[in-house]
Amino acid sequence: MNPMDYLRKPSTSSISALRSDVQNNNRQLPFGSQQQPDQPAPPQALPRQPQETKSEEEPSEETKKRMLDSITQLGQTNVPQLESNIYCLTIIGQVEGHIQLPPQNKTTKYEHIIPQLVAAEQNKKIEGLMVILNTVGGDVEAGLALAEMISSMSKPVVTLVLGGGHSIGVPIAVAGDYSFIAETATMTIHPIRLTGLVIGVPQTFEYLDKMQDRVVHFVARNSDISEQKFRDLMMTTGELTRDIGTNVIGADAVSYGLINEVGGLGKAMNKLNELIEAQRKNEAVLQ
Amino acid sequence: MIIYSTVPMEIIFADQDKLEKQQLHEIKVGEVLMLVEPVNTYEGKIVRLISPDPMDYTNPAYAPGQIVSFHPSF
Repeated sequence: MNPMDYLRKPSTSSISALRSDVQNNNRQLPFGSQQQPDQPAPPQALPRQPQETKSEEEPSEETKKRMLDSITQLGQTNVPQLESNIYCLTIIGQVEGHIQLPPQNKTTKYEHIIPQLVAAEQNKKIEGLMVILNTVGGDVEAGLALAEMISSMSKPVVTLVLGGGHSIGVPIAVAGDYSFIAETATMTIHPIRLTGLVIGVPQTFEYLDKMQDRVVHFVARNSDISEQKFRDLMMTTGELTRDIGTNVIGADAVSYGLINEVGGLGKAMNKLNELIEAQRKNEAVLQ
Repeated sequence: MIIYSTVPMEIIFADQDKLEKQQLHEIKVGEVLMLVEPVNTYEGKIVRLISPDPMDYTNPAYAPGQIVSFHPSF
């Protein structure tokens, strides 16, 4: 989600304005077009008036309706726009995958996150992605799918673990270009349990081992922790009451090499801006 | 399907029966196909979107949990 959405009045007019704004921008910057290099970077987190698109064509029905909407809702035609060049994605609660979880679970639906990642990757105005995690885990396949999507994005991604990034949250937390963990945040590293339908003891064991390997490989590939160390943490006894594994808190996660740095929102945002700046320079050199 | 979570399974699936009673309707709002759970005769709560346009998923009005109004067609 665009973090600025949360600053808007939740009126339908602003939503429809946002929606058509997105479409306008797509028209303004067609896929494959380059941003003008001499254009100064827009200041972040500052309210900014929308750039008027000077189009020769008559305003469409939708534009008229939008103007009408904003007159009735706000008494003016121009809805103030707040724009951001970062895309903020929050992954909270359970990562919901192939089974819809009962309503008392707070879930993040992976089939809704994936198109958002596609939108963030495709939209020329989005220059960086901020992923904020506070998750208790969830579906292995869905979590790994999200982690792979995030790690394969061409735009800079900074992840921030707040509260908890447990189980399948671990691969998602390490999927970005740079990761942060709040001082008080924890990550539980534990083995995968079986809830699927695999019958027979040797098969079950092998199947679980393979599932686990996917997680372990991904984490080792995307962070500084070694596979062996991660497995050791996973198999530690005496730390968790109902399970084997380790509860890694803030600075510990950094010392194991799992996460890059301890920090909060300010640090994460600075890092993301830094990465965006580096990316811009890189693109300028290529042009 | 494997759930890999710190929350015990019995807590995750505690209200499974509620979910089984849930009735989902597939409706089209504008151009977007979505699954909604009716809350009354004319309104439904969005459960999931089915759309090829990634921008639909960034539209706060179509986020899961939002109420959309619809009219039964005869």
